[in-house]
Amino acid sequence: MARSWLDERQPWSYGILYLGVLAVAVLLPYLSRWVELPSFLEQATSASALAKTALFVLFALGLNVVVGFAGLLDLGYVAFWAIGAYLGAILTGAADYTQSLRAGDVTVADKPIWEPWMWGILLVAIAVAVLAGILLGLPVLRLRGDYLAIVTLGFGEIIRITANNLDSITLGPQGITSIPHPAIRAGPVDLEWGVLTDIKYYWLLLLFVVLWVIAISKLDRSRIGRAWVAIREDEVAAGSMGVPVVRMKLAAFAIGACTAGVGGVVYAEQVNFINPPTFNVLQSILILCMVVIGGMGSIPGAIVGAVLVTLLPEMFREFNEYRYFVFGVALVVVMALRPQGLWPSRRRTLELRGGMVEDHLPDVATAGGPETG
Amino acid sequence: MGECVSSVADQFWAQTRNGLTLGAIYAMIALGYTMVYGVLQLINFAHSEVFMVSTVVSFYAFGRWFDVTEPLTGVALAGVLIAALIPAMLASGTTAVLIERTAYRPLRRRGAPRLSFLISAIGASLAISYLFNLMDGQHYLLFIRLPAILGAAPRSIPDVVSSEPLFTLFGASWTARHVLIVASTAVMLIVLDRIVRLTKLGRGIRAVAQDPETASLMGVDIDRVIVITFFIGGVMAGAAGLLYALRFNVTAWNIGFLPGIKAFTAAVLGGIGNLRGAMLGGLLLGLVEAHGTACTAPHWANVIAFLVLVGVLLIRPTGLLGERGVA
Repeated sequence: MARSWLDERQPWSYGILYLGVLAVAVLLPYLSRWVELPSFLEQATSASALAKTALFVLFALGLNVVVGFAGLLDLGYVAFWAIGAYLGAILTGAADYTQSLRAGDVTVADKPIWEPWMWGILLVAIAVAVLAGILLGLPVLRLRGDYLAIVTLGFGEIIRITANNLDSITLGPQGITSIPHPAIRAGPVDLEWGVLTDIKYYWLLLLFVVLWVIAISKLDRSRIGRAWVAIREDEVAAGSMGVPVVRMKLAAFAIGACTAGVGGVVYAEQVNFINPPTFNVLQSILILCMVVIGGMGSIPGAIVGAVLVTLLPEMFREFNEYRYFVFGVALVVVMALRPQGLWPSRRRTLELRGGMVEDHLPDVATAGGPETG
Repeated sequence: MGECVSSVADQFWAQTRNGLTLGAIYAMIALGYTMVYGVLQLINFAHSEVFMVSTVVSFYAFGRWFDVTEPLTGVALAGVLIAALIPAMLASGTTAVLIERTAYRPLRRRGAPRLSFLISAIGASLAISYLFNLMDGQHYLLFIRLPAILGAAPRSIPDVVSSEPLFTLFGASWTARHVLIVASTAVMLIVLDRIVRLTKLGRGIRAVAQDPETASLMGVDIDRVIVITFFIGGVMAGAAGLLYALRFNVTAWNIGFLPGIKAFTAAVLGGIGNLRGAMLGGLLLGLVEAHGTACTAPHWANVIAFLVLVGVLLIRPTGLLGERGVA
């Protein structure tokens, strides 16, 4: 093994690697201050671009659980993002306030203080997104994969159209403004997020990403993760071996949903303004692109995919107009030539390549087999 | 609720007419989904783009080549329609075959899991629609300037068929447009049904749908049958695109999305893989949608189709006429 310093039997070597990556990620927004960067890298490491990237990394991690781990093609992932964002906007009272503001009943000066509520709303958003995921999942998870894809697509559209039409609650196409920023005020700590604090939002999102990576990789290696693989590979066989198929699929769905819900709340707080067109089906497909290009079922893959898909248009403005075309082509090409993605998970490679088992059991073969030569 | 019932009752025949016209178009698109499902057991997500291509060809045929300025009648109308229909059908059929070649065949060769096919098809759909979005003469692809074919803005298509009332049926006035759409759909559906049921080609399609392995042992060339199935589905979507252009007078790079989803719903409603099911499902969905809009505000119209889809999948996932190989 060439990677001698990265020894699986010595977990601390990986720990150091991970901490290093994390430190780089935390300091990335400062990079352009310290070193002279070419302009496209400067754009890519701007706080706003990084915050956006971190948001999509979070989404990609969540969708990776649904598509990559459990093998359920969810094309309505944006719905849970919308649910989180609208909850954030409505529960904080921003919707009411926007309405009064537009009616001329209050002025900007009357803006109430909501900040301390934000963290509670995050929990509510998680709960509601999980509930929505289960409510959607219960009926549709029994369906075949292709039906599931189209029903979730429909669900995403229904949520968007509903947000557009329920004027009294979501303020319809006009959208909701003045969504408050979060703050932490506990004793000596006085941490506030604001309008021009993309960098703080980036760190907040990065914190969620780290939490999610830890939680999801634990899950992947747990009983639940193995159940997902079993279901993905052969649902009938998994069911007959005692894997609770529907419950495990629901779990994947719920985890995916709550990830998008959390991201949605933070997104609403950061951009301060939400309206229905943001949550269109293209966003779901874009997040799917991240997961597929990076490598389905692979956590580093989802991160790499999300970074690529988000930052390429940020780095090269001219690319922006071409991105949907290019990502569409990328989906076809990846599926045809490299279905395991850029940074594959080992398990997934086996499956998508049609499983040459011998290639992947070198240890057994050499350890157990007779000595030759 | 009472208002709703009376509103449906008031507009019953007018909405039935609208529903049949809309349903005819859905049925023709649905055939493509159901036939491909029959032979490959997968949903061709890129089928909506096959339909879109035809609306673009119709735009060129009516708006540019024949430069129609006012509704036509008689021989001129028939001539223009046929002259537009042939390139529209060919363009859609070719698009469908290209999709099969690029997005499906490599995966089929490898025996890839179903998920891969779906993702590949979604990619193809995204790429095709955005290719038309980019083709405005301002964009480059690999240093080659893309031709100015469509671009981001929707284009309007002139009225080719008169929208003057032709006759009145139960108080609803039917125009030549409605009659043409419903009648030509009926003819094409019957022709397709006969082809699949009576010809050797149709027997091949049904054989592959039933059991590809045995079919190939019996001398059926599976690849050929699959390509022809995609082509026929594409041709039907091509005809649907032309009728859609006649009915709604518009084309755009993203116009395929909603009709595509609705036609898929229609195919599921009738029983996916089942040709007559797709026809029935299309008409039913058109009627449900038309009568539904009499009841609710028009901006909920698109939700109706989704609710029908979810309802069918939950209550009777095999559809009204049952699921089977193309028959």
